[in-house]
Amino acid sequence: MKSWRPKNVRTRLTLWYVSILAVILVLYVALVFTFQYTLLARQIYHDEIQDVETVEGLLYFDQDGTLRLQQNYHSHPPSHLLIDRLMEVRDEAGMVLYRSDTLRGQALGASPLRHEGEGGFNERIVKLSDGTKVSLISHVHSMQGRTVLIRLGYSMSPLYDRMRQFLALLFIALPVALLMAGFAGYNIAKRALRPLEHMAARAEQITAHSLHDRLEIQNPDDELGYMARVFNQLLQRLDEAFAQLKRFTADAAHELRTPLASLRTVGEIALQEAVEPEDYREAIGSILEETSRLNQTIEGLLLLARAEASRPARKEQLIFLPELVDEILALLGVLIEEKNLSVVEDREGLQDRSVRADRSLVRVALMNVLHNAVKFSPVNSVLTVICTVAQGFEDFAEISVQDQGPGLALEEHKLVFDRFFTSSRKETAFGSGTGLGLSIAKLAVERSNGQIFFDETVTRGARCVIHLPLDSIEPHALG
Amino acid sequence: MFSPQAKAKVLIIEDDRKLAEALKSGIEAAGYDVFSASSAEEGFFLIHSLQPDLLLLDLTLPHRNGLDILRQIRSEGVDVRVLILTSHNTEEDRVEGLNSGADDYLGKPFSFPELVARIRALLRRVLPAVSAGPLKVGDLTLDTRTRTVFRSGVRLELTAREFDLLLYLIENRGRTVSREMLATDVWRETSRFTPIDNVIDVQIARLRKKIDDPYPVKLLQTIRGLGFSLQEPQT
Repeated sequence: MKSWRPKNVRTRLTLWYVSILAVILVLYVALVFTFQYTLLARQIYHDEIQDVETVEGLLYFDQDGTLRLQQNYHSHPPSHLLIDRLMEVRDEAGMVLYRSDTLRGQALGASPLRHEGEGGFNERIVKLSDGTKVSLISHVHSMQGRTVLIRLGYSMSPLYDRMRQFLALLFIALPVALLMAGFAGYNIAKRALRPLEHMAARAEQITAHSLHDRLEIQNPDDELGYMARVFNQLLQRLDEAFAQLKRFTADAAHELRTPLASLRTVGEIALQEAVEPEDYREAIGSILEETSRLNQTIEGLLLLARAEASRPARKEQLIFLPELVDEILALLGVLIEEKNLSVVEDREGLQDRSVRADRSLVRVALMNVLHNAVKFSPVNSVLTVICTVAQGFEDFAEISVQDQGPGLALEEHKLVFDRFFTSSRKETAFGSGTGLGLSIAKLAVERSNGQIFFDETVTRGARCVIHLPLDSIEPHALG
Repeated sequence: MFSPQAKAKVLIIEDDRKLAEALKSGIEAAGYDVFSASSAEEGFFLIHSLQPDLLLLDLTLPHRNGLDILRQIRSEGVDVRVLILTSHNTEEDRVEGLNSGADDYLGKPFSFPELVARIRALLRRVLPAVSAGPLKVGDLTLDTRTRTVFRSGVRLELTAREFDLLLYLIENRGRTVSREMLATDVWRETSRFTPIDNVIDVQIARLRKKIDDPYPVKLLQTIRGLGFSLQEPQT
């Protein structure tokens, strides 16, 4: 059977709160009751001892040898307890010498125990034949040359009655207290959770189209305010991502539509007129080239989408950057030779230190940046590649690639990393690729916990700077 | 299995009729007997009735995943080479395909020369021994042992990469080699998004400058939209 579970938090909170309070109160009642009972029982015992001593002075044997109690004292009882006094006196043989009227003829306890009342008072509880419970003490007393055993007790009934009343009072108060506490707790919880309801109601109305809406923050410093803030930050990120996605989809559609248009036009023109086979070849070749470009764009987009969507466990390894740069420069070697570029490499600043990153990611980034630099370099110019430790960021390696090409316009330094960015300037337009290279480089570097940017202080040519985290084991830290 | 006289049988299971038609005529032209099926059921029937030597399998078929077909024919122990053609072209997809019993994997869109080269490679039961003698196209000779190249008796100085490129072209002489093939087989570039096409074009241009430019007969042809081909000019 499944236990019932209240649906809302405030009911649950209240129930928990009331249950805990109930347990505490019951424990408290038990404790108070026990304490009170012990206290009163001890008080009775104490009274009895005092009474025995009083009684001892009042007992006497008359001339017939009958034990009597001086009655004059009895008529001025110092306390109501004296009226309730139950007393029996026995001789050594156990014969009853005196029995108080209050006993109404009943025996007070059974026949004497051995050594009863000799050392102490043998405090105990006995039951009379009419069922009354009596707190009883015994004491041996010598008088007029005879030894007698005095038994003196008080009925426990008044105590029991009082304790019963006390308990009843406590248990009547308990549910009332719990009820009040529960009601108060429920209302407090309701009040405390009210901002949550507002937030939920607000959040329900937020859809993909209204991601710019934000939750209302009532008290920014409390827990709910904190939650709302965090939630708003989440919305902010979603909003940005969504906007980016929208822009990207639009861009992608545009970027795909343009080559499709040229495919279509080339095909239609070729079919329109009866032309030579050579012309058909030309048209089909052009179509194939265009599909290959289209495919490359799609590959690039997929690469970006995949890299963005998933954060797979990165295959980090140590990379010695100059070695990777050499590998890529070797791959691009023919392009560099073709333009007769001189490559100046400076790797002194890096010493022997390696970066820790996913090699394939860093390779993609460097490949795109270097290829870009080669592409925009004029013939016979210089390409400078510097590997060093980043200034001001001692934990990062810095690779900078500087060409002597047309450079970037001021506002383009950040835009170049946008997808499908191609410079509006005439001199750079000729070498346009898919427009994704630098976006991919940026994503790859950021996935490697690095940074990529174009140096805005460089005015002749362009200088692309990449920062990548150095391996934490630093040679100078060991010394 | 098949004698040199009998044509090898290729079965295409592909639901896109246009692509299937194009593949059929293209592969037939490359010298094979080609059949095609557009659904998994039809494919199963043809696999058992035709007993093809090679299966070109599309993974996204209606009603049934191509991998299911592959697993089933492998569990039945059908002896057929399988080349998967698919637009799901991530590393994981490729690994899953190969683990399911495929012999090779080609992502869409692929270059047709590459497809034919792969088909040929899969159907070649014995790899030809590395020829002891020099390889020849026209008056161009290439010796793999000494890594030397001669044209009209004149020794040509080639860089290592140029030599590898020429070797690949000469091994595939008479056929078209696509940029994709060069990227994977000569440059060993696995990432598809790299500026490698640019590098290949320049490298081809430089090779052509050395082996063709000084001579009246041109051996290295660029086939626009397809790739390159090293062949003796038709007379």
